[in-house]
Amino acid sequence: MTTTAPRQNLGSRARSLLRAALDEYGDSPRAAGWLRHHLDRFDEPLRLAIAGKVKAGKSTLLNALVGEEIAATDAGECTRVVTWYSDGPSPRIVLHPRRGEPRPLRTHRDEHGGLVIDLDGTDPETVDRLMVDWPSAGLRTTALIDTPGIASLTVDAAGRAGEFLTPEDAPGQADAVLYLMRHLHAADARFLESFHDRHVARATPVNTVAVLSRADEIGSGRLDALISARRIAGRYRTDEKLSTLCQTVVAVAGLLALTGRTLRQDEYLALRALAGVDPDVTEAMLLSADRFVAPPPSVVAALPDDVGGAGRAALLGRLGLFGIRTSLALLRQGTDAGAPPDAAALAAELVRRSGLDELREVLATQFAERRDLLKARSALLAVELVLRREPRPAATALATEVERVFASGHEFAELRLLAALRSRAVGLPPEVRDEAERLVGGAGTRTAVRLGLDPEADAATARAAAVEALQRWRRRATSPLSDRTTTDACGVVVRSIEGMLVSLTST
Amino acid sequence: MAETNRSLALIDLALQATEAYDRPDLSERLRATRRRIADPDIRVLIVGEFKQGKSALVNALVNAEICPVDDDISTAVTTVVKYTSGQPSVTVVREQAVDGQGESREERTDVDLGDIRRYVSEAGNPGNRENVSYVEVRLPRRVLSTGLVVVDTPGVGGLGSAHGQMTMGALPTADAVLLISDAAQEYTAPELRFLSQAMALCPNVACVLTKTDLYPEWRRIAELDRGHLTRAGIAAELLPTSSVLRQVAARTNDAALNEEAGFKALVGYLRDRVTKQAEVMDRRSASRDVQSAVEQMSQKMRTELEAQQDPGNAELLIARLKEAQERAENLKKRSARWQLTLNDGFGDLTSDIEYDLRDRMRSIQKEAEERIDESDPAEIWDQFADWVHTGVAAAASTNFVWASQRARHLAGQVADHFVAGGQAALPDVDRISSRGLGGQVNPMVRPDMERYRFGQKLFTGIRGGYGGMLMAGMATSLAGLAMINPISGGVALVLGVKGVKEEKARLLAKRRNDAKTAVRKHVDDVSFQVGKDSRDMLRIVQRTLRDHFQELAQELTTSMAESVKSAQEAVRTVTTDRERRIADLEAELGRLAALETQARELVAGDPQR
Repeated sequence: MTTTAPRQNLGSRARSLLRAALDEYGDSPRAAGWLRHHLDRFDEPLRLAIAGKVKAGKSTLLNALVGEEIAATDAGECTRVVTWYSDGPSPRIVLHPRRGEPRPLRTHRDEHGGLVIDLDGTDPETVDRLMVDWPSAGLRTTALIDTPGIASLTVDAAGRAGEFLTPEDAPGQADAVLYLMRHLHAADARFLESFHDRHVARATPVNTVAVLSRADEIGSGRLDALISARRIAGRYRTDEKLSTLCQTVVAVAGLLALTGRTLRQDEYLALRALAGVDPDVTEAMLLSADRFVAPPPSVVAALPDDVGGAGRAALLGRLGLFGIRTSLALLRQGTDAGAPPDAAALAAELVRRSGLDELREVLATQFAERRDLLKARSALLAVELVLRREPRPAATALATEVERVFASGHEFAELRLLAALRSRAVGLPPEVRDEAERLVGGAGTRTAVRLGLDPEADAATARAAAVEALQRWRRRATSPLSDRTTTDACGVVVRSIEGMLVSLTST
Repeated sequence: MAETNRSLALIDLALQATEAYDRPDLSERLRATRRRIADPDIRVLIVGEFKQGKSALVNALVNAEICPVDDDISTAVTTVVKYTSGQPSVTVVREQAVDGQGESREERTDVDLGDIRRYVSEAGNPGNRENVSYVEVRLPRRVLSTGLVVVDTPGVGGLGSAHGQMTMGALPTADAVLLISDAAQEYTAPELRFLSQAMALCPNVACVLTKTDLYPEWRRIAELDRGHLTRAGIAAELLPTSSVLRQVAARTNDAALNEEAGFKALVGYLRDRVTKQAEVMDRRSASRDVQSAVEQMSQKMRTELEAQQDPGNAELLIARLKEAQERAENLKKRSARWQLTLNDGFGDLTSDIEYDLRDRMRSIQKEAEERIDESDPAEIWDQFADWVHTGVAAAASTNFVWASQRARHLAGQVADHFVAGGQAALPDVDRISSRGLGGQVNPMVRPDMERYRFGQKLFTGIRGGYGGMLMAGMATSLAGLAMINPISGGVALVLGVKGVKEEKARLLAKRRNDAKTAVRKHVDDVSFQVGKDSRDMLRIVQRTLRDHFQELAQELTTSMAESVKSAQEAVRTVTTDRERRIADLEAELGRLAALETQARELVAGDPQR
C-alpha cells in the first residue's frame, strides 16, 4: 500500500513552463538568472527552513535532525547569518556577500568534530548567506536552513531573518518551514503576537509545521516534563486559530534528541556511575544546575571518584537537568524492555523520548511526500513573478499557461482546499471538514492515510472504503442546499477519491 | 514601622499646636499628610512576558501557594498580595464604572483560600469571564509586614502589546517595578524597551532573573543582560533567583540553599531600597509640612514680639506687614505669575501632547496604508496586524511617558514661580526657603496620580480603562479582517479560470480598502482613548497643583493678616502687661522652635537629595 494519488506529471509541466519562460526571457539577464536558478532548484533536495524567535533552539534542532553538531549553539544569541546546510562530498563553507563574488571560508572543527564558522572579520551585515556543504546522510534528501531569531535584540540579525523569510514579493527561498516556539499563550486571539509567523517563506498552513521546542524546559525539567509538553502540543493542535497557521504541532526536546543521537561512551559510563549512587544523593544534586556541578561537601563525599565536577558540567551541558534525570531513571529502572540499557539502547531511548522521531515522521508525511508539489509551486510562483515584473506581449501565453497549471493541477486544488479548510473558509461541519482534510491529503498523501485506514490494509478494503466515501461526497457535492464554495470544495474531494480509485484499480 | 510612627507622632504634635493657635487651614494639610503616611502600602509591580515564572516568584517570596503555577495555563487576573496580622483571606474584587465618569464602585466577595485558582488562572476563568478586576490575598507574612503590596500581573500578550501598555499606565503609581525574565535567554527588544520606559516613570526598577536552577548557563545570561542594560543606559539592578530552591529551602530550613536561591538579595532590595525609600519620602514630607506649619504659626508671634519689644517702631512694622499681606493676597489672584505659568503651561502641554500623539499615529497610519498598497492584505495580515498593534501601542506609551515627564517638570516650574512670589511676599525670606514650599511638589504629585490610577482600572484587566480600550479596538479590527483573510485567491481559482483575473483584482481592491478602514478605526479608537487619558491626567495634575498652591497662598495671607492684627494689638498693650506678654511670647516661640527642631531631626539621618 505505498501507492500515491496520480501525479499527472505536475513536475514536468512546471519544468517545461520554466524552460519556455527561459526561452522567452533569455535576453533579460535578471529574469533568465532567476528562472535558471529555479530550474536548478527543481533537482535539489527539499529546502526546509528552521525559523522562530531568538533562542527557540533552532540550531540545536537542526543539529539533532542531522545527527551531528554542525550548527554552532550557545547560551547567547549566536546565529547571526542565514546559513544553508546541504550534503556535499567534503566540508566546505562559501560566504555569499550582498555585493560581490562568493568566496570560500576556512573550515575547521572543534574538539567534538563540530564545525567552527569564522566569518574572518566580515561584518555579518554584509553577508547575504553562508552555504555549508557537509557530508551527511541526514542532509541528503533535505537541505536545512538555519535563520537568525525573529525579535532578536541584534536588530540586524532579526532584519536579516525577516528579509530572508519574507522576500518582498518573491516566492520563498525555502520550500517548507519548521516554526519553533517555546510556548504559546492560552486560547485567545492575541497569541498571534507570539507567533510571528504566517509570512514565513510564503508560509501557508500547508508547508509549515510548528514545533514546541525546548520541550523539557516547559515542565521545568521534571521527569514528566515531556508528557506535559506533549499535552500542550496536543491542545495547540486542536486550537482553531493555530490550525489555520500550520499543519500540526509537535513537542521536541532538541538538546535531548541531539545528545541521544551523538551519545559518547565516556558520557554513558559517567551516567552509569552516577546511577550507582544513592538516589537521595543524586536527588539533592539535581535540585539545581549549580548544585549538580558543585554540590555541598556532604554530597561530594558520596560521589564516585571518576565523575568529577568538570565531567558533570559537561554532562549537564549535553543533557540538561531533564536529560540527566531521565537517563538516571532509565539506568536504574531499566527501559520498558526490562534490563538496564547499554549505551546504544540508552541513546535510542533518549531520542525516542525527545519527540524527534515523531517530528521526523511528520516531516516525512507532510513534506517529503509533497516534495514535487512544493517544488512545482515554488517554480510556478517564480515564473509568475518574472511575468509580473517584466511584462511583455509575447508572455501572455505563458501567463495563461501558468494559470492553467495552477488551476488544473489537481494537487494544487488539493493544496488550496486544504488551506481553505484550515482557515475555515469553507462552511462544513467540523467532523466533515476533518474527513475532507484527510481525503485531500492533510495527514499524508498515501491512499490508506487519506482513507483513514490502517497502513497495512489490503487493496480490497481500501477500494471498498474509497467507493463508500465517493458516494457520500458525490451526494454532498450535488446537494442543492450547499452554497457554491462548499459544492466546489466537495468537487475537489470527489476528484481526489476518484484518483485514489484509479490507482487502486491499476495495481 | 517605628520610623513611620515617629513621623506620625510629630504630625500629631504639630496638629495640637495648630488647633491651640486656631489655624484650621494648617491642620487640614497636616491631616492630609498624616493620612498619606498612615497608609503603609508600598506597591511592587511584578511584570514580564508570560511563562517567565512571575507567579512562582510571588509564591516563593511569600512562601505560600497563592498564585497557581502551571506548565501550560497562565495567570489571567491580577493578584494583589498584602499583609494581615490575622487569618489569611482571599477577596475577589469586581469593579464597575459608574456612569462612565471615571468613578468606579467595588464589589468585594470573600472566597475560600483553595478557590483562588477558579478566579485567577486561565483554566478556571478563561478570558476572565468571571469579570474579576483583581483578587486580593492577605497573608500573615513577615516579609509583607512593612506594607509591601505585591502585585502579580498577567503576562498576557507580552510587553509590547496593548496589555503591556496597560501595565505602563500603572507604573507611576507603583513604588517599584520588578521585570521578570527567565534565564533561558537574554533580554529581548520589548523587554529592554519596557525597562527604559519604566525607568522614566517609576522610582525603583529592578530586573529579576528567574529559574536559575534549571539553566546551567544562567551566569552567562546574567552577564549578557547586564551588558544590554549598560548599553541601553538603564541603571537597574539584576537579581538572579530560583523560586524552586527558595521553596525547598523554606521547607527544609536550609539557610545555604536560601542564599543560593537569591531571595535574600531580593528581599534585601525590597527592604533596603524600596521600603526605606518610601519611609524616607514619608519622613521628608512629614518634616517639611511640620516645619512649614511652625513657620506660619510663629510668624504672628514673632511680629507681636517685635512690636512689644519696640513699640516705637510698630507703625513702620505694620506698614511693612501690610505690604507683605497685599503681596500674599496677590498670590491668590489669577494674575499671579505662578498661576500664569500653571495655566499657560498646562494649556501648551495639553496641545503639545495631543499634537505629538496625532503626529505619531498619523505616521503609523500613513506607513500602514503604504504597506497595504504594496501588497495583498490577505497574505500579510497577521504580520501586519501585529506590526500595527505594536507600533500603535509603542507610540501611545512613548506619548504617555513624555506627558508625565513634562507634567512633572512643569510642576517644578510652577513651584519655583510660586516660591519667588512667596519670597517677595514674606518678610522672612530665608526662613521659608524654596525647600519648604516647592519641595512639597514631588511627594504631592504622586499621591494624586493615585487618584488618577485609572480608578484602579489597572486591575480591571481586560475590561475598562486605557488598555481595555486598546484591546477592544484590536479585537474589532481583527474580527473585521478575519473576513478578508481566507485565501480568497485560492477559492476564486477553484471557481474556474474564466473571469478569475478581474475577480481577483476586484477582491484585492476590496481587501485593501477593508484593511485601511480597519487600521484607521483602530488608530482612531486608540488616539481617542489615549488622548482622553492624557488630557484627564494633565487636568488632574493641574487642578491638584492649583489647589495646593492656592491653599498655601491662603495660609500665607492668613498668617500675614494675623501678624498685622497682633502687631496692632501689641501697640495698644498696657506697659505693665508688656513684660509678661514678652515672656509668654518667648515661651511660645520656644515651644514652636522645639517642634521645628524635632521636625529637622526626623530627617537628619537621611541622605540629602
